[in-house]
Amino acid sequence: MMLNVAIIGCGKMADQHAAQIQRITGATIVAVCDSELLMARQLSERLGIEHYFTSEREMFETVKIDVVHITTPPASHFFLGKAALEASCHVYIEKPFTLNTIEAEDLINLANQKNLKVIAGHNAQFTPVMVRMREMVNSGYLGGKPVHMESHYCYDFGDASYAKTLLGDSEHWARKLPGSLLQNIISHGISKIAEFLSGDNPVVIAHGFTSPFLKSIGQDDIVDEVRVIIRDENSTTAYFTFSSQIKPVPHQFRLYGSKNSLIVDDDNQILLKIGNDDYKSYLRYFVPPLGYAKQYMANFGRNVGKFIQKDFHLSNDAALKSLIESFYDSIVGNTPLPLSHREILLTTKIMDDIFVQIKHPCRLPD
Amino acid sequence: MSAISIDDKTFSKNNTGLPESDGVIISPSEPILVTGANGYVGLMVVRTLLSFGYKKIRCLTRSTGKSTYLENLAQEFVDADVEIFKGNLLSTEDCMRAVKGVTVVYHLAAGVEKSYAGCFLNSVVTTRNLLDAVIKESTLKRFVNISSIAVYSNEHIPRGGLLDESCEIDSKMIERHEPYTYGKTKQDEIVLEYAEKNNLPYVIVRPSVVFGPGKVKITDRIGSGTFGVFLHLGLNNTIPLTYIDNCAEAIVLAGLKSGVDGQEFIITDDDLPTSREFLRLYKKKVRQFISIPVPYFIWYFLCSLWERYSKWSEGQLPPVFNRRTCAVYWKGNTYSNQKAKRLLGWHPKVSMKDGLEQFFTYMKEMETKK
Repeated sequence: MMLNVAIIGCGKMADQHAAQIQRITGATIVAVCDSELLMARQLSERLGIEHYFTSEREMFETVKIDVVHITTPPASHFFLGKAALEASCHVYIEKPFTLNTIEAEDLINLANQKNLKVIAGHNAQFTPVMVRMREMVNSGYLGGKPVHMESHYCYDFGDASYAKTLLGDSEHWARKLPGSLLQNIISHGISKIAEFLSGDNPVVIAHGFTSPFLKSIGQDDIVDEVRVIIRDENSTTAYFTFSSQIKPVPHQFRLYGSKNSLIVDDDNQILLKIGNDDYKSYLRYFVPPLGYAKQYMANFGRNVGKFIQKDFHLSNDAALKSLIESFYDSIVGNTPLPLSHREILLTTKIMDDIFVQIKHPCRLPD
Repeated sequence: MSAISIDDKTFSKNNTGLPESDGVIISPSEPILVTGANGYVGLMVVRTLLSFGYKKIRCLTRSTGKSTYLENLAQEFVDADVEIFKGNLLSTEDCMRAVKGVTVVYHLAAGVEKSYAGCFLNSVVTTRNLLDAVIKESTLKRFVNISSIAVYSNEHIPRGGLLDESCEIDSKMIERHEPYTYGKTKQDEIVLEYAEKNNLPYVIVRPSVVFGPGKVKITDRIGSGTFGVFLHLGLNNTIPLTYIDNCAEAIVLAGLKSGVDGQEFIITDDDLPTSREFLRLYKKKVRQFISIPVPYFIWYFLCSLWERYSKWSEGQLPPVFNRRTCAVYWKGNTYSNQKAKRLLGWHPKVSMKDGLEQFFTYMKEMETKK
């Protein structure tokens, strides 16, 4: 079955989506749409896409579309997602899924009513190393549900492609989100935690502040340092760290189990197993380092091997393709989504809690 | 919006820098807009306009960020009205306010990003907004669009052949995998479209590689350090350079000189060095390092392999090295600045020797600070 795909929002993210969709067998981009005619036209021309529109309604009425990717700024996600669902399309919405939990619930309910699929672009959960981590967890390596997790999802303000645009524009759309800059970035780090939480209402304690660096350049209104503690109803806990100042910029996820633990280094695509092996006396200082060295070498070998087999695209691209492909498979095969709606809602709820607490902080002891 | 000349002699009495014989289209009191005024070339364009005696300069800069240099210029030229206008060219309202009453627009703002969409948005959509605004305002006498020498194709020019304003614009820009140049090409196209539809008086300026104090990188036309060791790719090629002061003056003249509407100008200085000469001087005056000379045909072959690998691997490595880019930057051409000299009356005031001396002195200081 060939899926007809459309993209709404022809900015940078659309380029990334289009590049990966074009690599997927059984899917073809038939139309693009952007409220700015020039943006819609340039994407259509560059990628040889037949149709371009400035109105999503006109697009839905003109072209037969199975799946819509929404890659616009977040404020329009809800409205466009709803319009796409009402036009009987399955919908992939870039992160953050919506501006708040109420919108997220409405969209998911509408999708369920219409028997359509909607998914959030939490592709950071689908990098090659995250996929391997999930396989380990599912195999029971941790010894059950994680006892504790640590998610470090940081950001570099030296990144010219986004940060300079944001910092150089006091009217940038990211500044106007309920969670400002954070809302556009942290969902990747939060969704990794949400995947392993139980229940629907975790306890969230958040603290955020402006880094000395941003203060020094007069950007006092942006919170770029966040520390969060999360606990679910079964007492699984998690720490989430967002920072713009830590170097090198870490994207790591650690799972601590009752039996063993795992470390995912997304920056270097390394998965480390922390085994609960018991060595006598001084052997604990000699044997485990050799074991870790062996694991690092195995990671090296795996990465090189995948690269040689042209299966090691940059982790964001690989993850995006993996998630989109799994999403399309779930549509064609009518199988469960690669990301559950519960996870998507939980991520949105945790983010809402974080933003409220950052806006109305409790005073910490000196 | 037709261009008019004013009495040259009257004008020359009122300024200090503009050559007396020049016919110009605006008087010193008429308002001028410079977009991208806080950028490397933009700042020097503002300074040059002020030194020519122009008194009403509106400097469009991003809505955040410091404008210290512009503020200093305003203090230096106390008789002039240097207005620092914070705004965003993606906002049609900001564009309307920015062009209010202006007679000449120097459009230097551009998208310098890694993505095609980003470059297109910040070069083409912004330019369209600005053009819409000047058409509505109807006080414009000239729109000076700053492009780049890199938009030309040298596909049909032999090695060492002349690349000038008569050469064709590259129509296969996507194959070059250069978002910035793609954006610039499309920006030029929209200016030409508005010129045809709305009778827009315009000039397109295509500077070559701008150098001078403030720049910390040597151009890729000399070579590349991407792979950990510096590959000297330019070898005996002539490197198209223009010193910052000279470039700014050419741009300013393109907005003032009468009788040049609809013209395109490549800006390069005189006495262009070869890549070998440049690199030898750099090593002598800034720092010593190992460079490996790579002949053009070998580099072209390697770029061809890279391009094929990129296609085979579905972009596992992006096609940043490809045959078209290789040809544009390292095939080797000669360049002419005769048109700019003839029609704009421009002459590079800073010699290549002095320009390089100042550039290398600056780079040496930066190296020492490291």
